[in-house]
Amino acid sequence: MKRCLTFLTASLLAIGSLSAKDAKLVDVKVYPPDINLTTKRDRQSFLVHASYDNGTTRDVTAKAKISLANAELGKIENFTVYPLADGETELKVSFEGQKLTIPVKVTKAQEDRPISFVLDVMPVFMKAGCNSGGCHGAARGKDGFRLSLFGYNPDGDYDYLTREIIGRRINLAIPEDSLLLTKGAGQVQHTGGKLFEPESELYQTVLRWIQAGAPKDDKNIPSPESIEIYPKQAVMEGSNTLQRLVVRAKYSDGTDRDVTSLAAFMSNNDVAVKVDPKGQLTSAERGEAFILARFETFAVGSQILVVPKGSDFKFPQVEAKNYIDELVYTKLKKIRVAPSELATDTTFLRRVYLDIIGRLPSTQELKDFETDISSGKRERIIDELIAKPEFADMWVMKWGELLRVRTIQDNGGYFSEKNTMAYYTWLREQILGNVPVDKMVQAIVSASGSTFDNPPSNYYKLETDVLKTSEDVAQVFMGMRIQCAQCHNHPFDRWTMNDYYGFASFFSQVGRKRGEDPRDTIIYNRGGGEINHPVTKRPIPPTFLGGGPADVKGKDRREVLAEWLASEKNPYFAKNLVNIVWAHFFGRGIIDPVDDVRISNPPSNPELLDELARRFTASNYDFKALVRDITNSRVYQLATQANESNASDTVNFAKGSIRRMRAEILLDSIDQVTESQERFSKTPKGMSAVQIADGNVTSYFLTTFGRATRETVCSCEVKMEPNLSQALHLLNGDTVNGKVQNGGVIKKLLAAGKQPDEIVEDLYLRTLSRKPTTVEMEKLEPFLVQKEKQEEALNDLFWSLLNSKEFMFNH
Amino acid sequence: MSNENLGSWCNSRDHIWRPNRREFLFVGLLGTFGLTLPNAVRAEAKKGVKLGGKAGQAKSVIQIYLPGGMAHQESWDPKVGSPIEYRGPLGTVKTKIDGAYFSQHLDQTAKIADKLTVIRSMTHGEAAHERGTHNMFTGYRPSPALQFPSFGSVVSHEMGPRENLPPYVCIPGVPNPYAGTGYLGSAYGPFSLGSDPASGNFAVRDLTLPKGVTDERFAQRRTMREAVDAHFSSLEKSDALDGMDSFYQRAYAMISSDKAREAFAIEKETAKLRDEYGRNQAGQRMLLARRLVESGVRFVSLTYGGWDHHDNIKGAMDRTMPSFDQAFARLIRDLDERGMLDSTLVMVTSEFGRTPMINKTAGRDHWPKVFSIAMAGGGIKRGMVYGSSDPTGGEPDENPVNVQSYAKTVYHQMGIDAEKELIAPGARPIEIVDGGEVLHDLIA
Repeated sequence: MKRCLTFLTASLLAIGSLSAKDAKLVDVKVYPPDINLTTKRDRQSFLVHASYDNGTTRDVTAKAKISLANAELGKIENFTVYPLADGETELKVSFEGQKLTIPVKVTKAQEDRPISFVLDVMPVFMKAGCNSGGCHGAARGKDGFRLSLFGYNPDGDYDYLTREIIGRRINLAIPEDSLLLTKGAGQVQHTGGKLFEPESELYQTVLRWIQAGAPKDDKNIPSPESIEIYPKQAVMEGSNTLQRLVVRAKYSDGTDRDVTSLAAFMSNNDVAVKVDPKGQLTSAERGEAFILARFETFAVGSQILVVPKGSDFKFPQVEAKNYIDELVYTKLKKIRVAPSELATDTTFLRRVYLDIIGRLPSTQELKDFETDISSGKRERIIDELIAKPEFADMWVMKWGELLRVRTIQDNGGYFSEKNTMAYYTWLREQILGNVPVDKMVQAIVSASGSTFDNPPSNYYKLETDVLKTSEDVAQVFMGMRIQCAQCHNHPFDRWTMNDYYGFASFFSQVGRKRGEDPRDTIIYNRGGGEINHPVTKRPIPPTFLGGGPADVKGKDRREVLAEWLASEKNPYFAKNLVNIVWAHFFGRGIIDPVDDVRISNPPSNPELLDELARRFTASNYDFKALVRDITNSRVYQLATQANESNASDTVNFAKGSIRRMRAEILLDSIDQVTESQERFSKTPKGMSAVQIADGNVTSYFLTTFGRATRETVCSCEVKMEPNLSQALHLLNGDTVNGKVQNGGVIKKLLAAGKQPDEIVEDLYLRTLSRKPTTVEMEKLEPFLVQKEKQEEALNDLFWSLLNSKEFMFNH
Repeated sequence: MSNENLGSWCNSRDHIWRPNRREFLFVGLLGTFGLTLPNAVRAEAKKGVKLGGKAGQAKSVIQIYLPGGMAHQESWDPKVGSPIEYRGPLGTVKTKIDGAYFSQHLDQTAKIADKLTVIRSMTHGEAAHERGTHNMFTGYRPSPALQFPSFGSVVSHEMGPRENLPPYVCIPGVPNPYAGTGYLGSAYGPFSLGSDPASGNFAVRDLTLPKGVTDERFAQRRTMREAVDAHFSSLEKSDALDGMDSFYQRAYAMISSDKAREAFAIEKETAKLRDEYGRNQAGQRMLLARRLVESGVRFVSLTYGGWDHHDNIKGAMDRTMPSFDQAFARLIRDLDERGMLDSTLVMVTSEFGRTPMINKTAGRDHWPKVFSIAMAGGGIKRGMVYGSSDPTGGEPDENPVNVQSYAKTVYHQMGIDAEKELIAPGARPIEIVDGGEVLHDLIA
């Protein structure tokens, strides 16, 4: 009886939670938005998705009343519509008073679509994992049987199956005895084990194909053109909540198919959300997961948030300075996280100085800012800083890394200092003049002529390999790593080998000849030359990555590419740039790392990224305006101290980020506060570390603190992790010790008649941009009382400040 | 050095990308989490099974890594009876293990083979340098989404420093991106010497106090620094700050201990011994490695040479192998003479072996299907060949050893339970090694 009662209570509770006692229903949607059934085996699953006023969503398919307006055209079983007769009708859905309908169209209800190897059988290999790299997709196959990795070569796969060991893999006489089936169903010994049951759809599909005589497809079968996933976003409340997914593929003949059962699903965070092979989600712990669905060469994702049940979270009343704040808050509200407080004026000032111009505010600048009581002073200082030449230096350094500007001494000074300087100077002019970024990138990608006279053409002197060039262009200007697709379809993204070689074709006609000066190279358009696809042994015509074929007839292919690449026609260009800039100011990209954009590495806030990109494009790629928007947002100006709700959040920009200063800026800052000047080899006197033009010029300090070597375009070249050598160098090395001594700051201050506590304050303001606290003063006092040891003690304090985390970190 | 171009996946001549199904599921792991209750899963993290009585005999490890993919045929596994195009151009030498031969340039090592276990059946599927290297440094296949920690970083994490010395040291520097901390905090990263002990002016920088700074004055500096740092430490929290703190603590410990600093002073070794190891990169790096583990470093990782011999493998072996042979044999004898061999695990590994047949340019190409590694000390059997490759050196014949089992055995000898779960970002528990078994046959 007691057990019975418990059970009853449990079910009541379950019902109670589903009826959403507290949250009010705001909206109901049915996915997909329309249902099209063509031929008698077609079907379409659907789901009913309810949104509530507390930001959560629920899969209410099982709770909703669902019927077809004309029940003669189809039947509904297991939330799936099956065709019965041709015609048009509606799916009627009602849930808690909300009613809606979606159109249903049935055609060829009596016809059977002929089975297709590519459209029906190949997806089975993908779903069951047959053609994955660990199994038959391995380059040498597995146990004597080979398939192309993730199906990049359907014709080859057809041949392996039908032309090798005839009668064994496919037994047309007794189809059930085909090894393809007996192995897959685990009926005979199979290293890969049992992958499907004989009753399963996968098995039955392959069986039907063999029964039909294992036909090869007609040349003109439709091909899948895209896939879509529903819902695209869900906010699940509490753990063990369920949510179904629907995946639909669209074909070139205008038809679509429900491929939910054929798609491969994966969750990038199964601590938060688990997904089963049927596309059913189960929530677990609070968090955020991205669910990836793959079908054919396509991949789509759905962002799923899990929030704790019944939280009495209230988003605080905070000002939104601009669209950035609004979009970040929208996300934070959804995940029930409150932003930190606004940073104080001095913290803000230190942060914008370091981020925009790469140095600390001087004592005077701090004082001026603190005593300024007029409104809008933060906006004003941002404008002033952006106008300074140091702002350009910072971004020339960043572009220098992306473009790998460095001397190369191998092969007899192949990339000379003269080339490096010309390239650097040109870049600096672009940034100083705020040349629209699209124009600058176009100048680089389409560059021809002498590397001396037209410095951007150095781009093609630094890298001469066709494939490497196209990989670099994709990574730098689109944020994509397409390397995988050189040899096979990209396993974690949409890129196929066709995409890869189509993109590489833009660079196959770059000509290079020696200029009059042996260090110079003339870049020109050869007007001929192709790069072959390794499977078909034929070139793929130049094709924009994710943008269709290009008309290059009679044109310089790179000019055609440049015009598309750095424009709004390229969906990735603006997003990539705003993300790079964002990452500079927040220590983390909206997509992170910034140069690993792929479907399986989604943005943490897609709406924010889209809006930043849209505005950047609309501003005609005004770089300074972008920086202004970002730095003026309240989100950028948040304090680093966490509150209860945002303590563990690192990806949604709910608090200021703590970042070690990068090597160059740390060294420049040490120089600044100690009034010293580091000399770098092969660099004119007076140049700061940020201003070093040549990636090959470095020093022990810069290398130890992770300066990029610029050997690759990877954003991982700049290393920010602390290590033991850094601690040892700051403690014992000549940088801090030498500069504290030789800069003579303490001597000067003493000579000017300053009192010890005035000097302490001065040193604090210089290094930490704040005054010492009373507690600190009390702790330091005893060291300063002995007159004869005063100078030593002050030097040691200076040393201590430079060795403090508060100094080396931007916060 | 081998010409690894880490910027491109596919530029090695027989690169194969083979993610397995499990790896496929890991995709994008680092994508968007970070908002997970930190303690939610920590509680669930498995404690792991108890280690057997033989675990933990190795108190330190010397990992000798030969980058580029050393040919197993021209080293530990010569194909004596095969046709010349498989056997290759080098002769063989009889070892102190009954019936076992090494390639001709390992003649010193052959004489101490009775102290070694050679595994001739290592196998994994990664024919690209960076992927093979990842396997051998982390015990994991590479994942596009999760960075795994190296052996040294796991040892750092699990065991911490000893005798005021960093637990994990790389000679001469951090050899590749996989020798790092992966998903573990930056505090567990290696200490990179930044200088080659083979060079005449070898010195590890910044170990000693600057001129004019006495111990007392340094104590004053430390006190002042603590006074200055306390305010910030009380306000802010982040992994990087914790990392910096722990490196400062470690730096203080090293600076204030003469013994710790002397661990790096290779010039304190006798000239005779330095000569016997060989006054070259192999010799001095291995000698310093011995000095470091003797002083308390738990895990030393060193590299020597470049073994990516696509062309003229004979010439390359003639140049590179004798120094290795001399140094390695001396290292093993040295450890044994000092009574350290049973507590020091030495392993010689490479990312893969090389193709069975000599190619058109008189070299061999990448071959991960079977290759050899050597282990000695730390409770590993003395004088054994484990596993075998087929007569052409193309496939494992007996007792194939995968990367996970190799890794599990190394951890077992260190006394670390490899089934324990460490916590990756997003409160995600990850086993130190996923799969594989401890190779009890190797353990003395």
